[in-house]
Amino acid sequence: MKLSKIAVLTVILFIAYILLAGSVTAIDLLAAAIASLATSVIVADLLVRDVGKILDPKRIYYLVRYFIKYMFIIEPRAHIDVIKRIISPHMPINPGIVAIPYGVKTDYAILTIANSITNTPGTVTVDVDRDSKLLFVHWIDVKAVEPEECRRIISREFEENAEKIFD
Amino acid sequence: MVFEVVEWIIFYIGLGLTTLGALCDLFGSLGLLRFPNFYVRLHAATVGIIGGAVVPLIGVGLMSLCSSQLGVYRFAVATIFFLTAFVTMIVAPIGTHALAYASHRGRVVKVEPKVIDMLEKHRGGEK
Repeated sequence: MKLSKIAVLTVILFIAYILLAGSVTAIDLLAAAIASLATSVIVADLLVRDVGKILDPKRIYYLVRYFIKYMFIIEPRAHIDVIKRIISPHMPINPGIVAIPYGVKTDYAILTIANSITNTPGTVTVDVDRDSKLLFVHWIDVKAVEPEECRRIISREFEENAEKIFD
Repeated sequence: MVFEVVEWIIFYIGLGLTTLGALCDLFGSLGLLRFPNFYVRLHAATVGIIGGAVVPLIGVGLMSLCSSQLGVYRFAVATIFFLTAFVTMIVAPIGTHALAYASHRGRVVKVEPKVIDMLEKHRGGEK
């Protein structure tokens, strides 16, 4: 079990090293193998819980689809919204901190949701309460106060994708 | 011939993304000056993270992919840019999150003006 974790991580790190080094001489390959193996032995247990999830093509497909949708649709929309608020003379802001419930289990999925929320201009994650499963989000334009309503407006899409990718 | 045309198109897409990044940085810094308090200013700073750092890094990566004077090393250079963009995208919001968390926890900054503060209520309920 542990060996397969180390093997998968070593291959990924090896490819990253070779791409970054930009050459494939014998000494580069040797250094890449040693460095990636040593790193994997140390961090495999911390980073990987379930090897099957890394190699699952369906999850990788969802990850790529989510990344493309996030960068090309969600981000531009949020950027334009906040930039409009910045350059408008009246500065139409309506800020506040709202609570958003989440339903995912793994750490990676929570990180994905929190980072997606923070990365879109207009919403910043302030705190996570893991006992009551709530994210506290500072929102530049509070449209709703009810937790479920906020979830529908802000994080439903992030949550659905995080669940498909990591849970 | 076709390959060269595609190369030029990618080069100019990269140039466009970099210009877009510069604009986002400009608007982000304007927002930092104009917005009323710390938390709202964080939103303006976020414009400078994705729009102002990740997008131009991808743009420069695309440009270096098409710079033939770099030879074989252009792939390595481009990979470094793409990887930096990816890492920035994951790590930068953690910094924003740490700032917001610390200032709310330590009550350094008042959440003012505000519509509602659910976190304050949540904490008040605990004690």
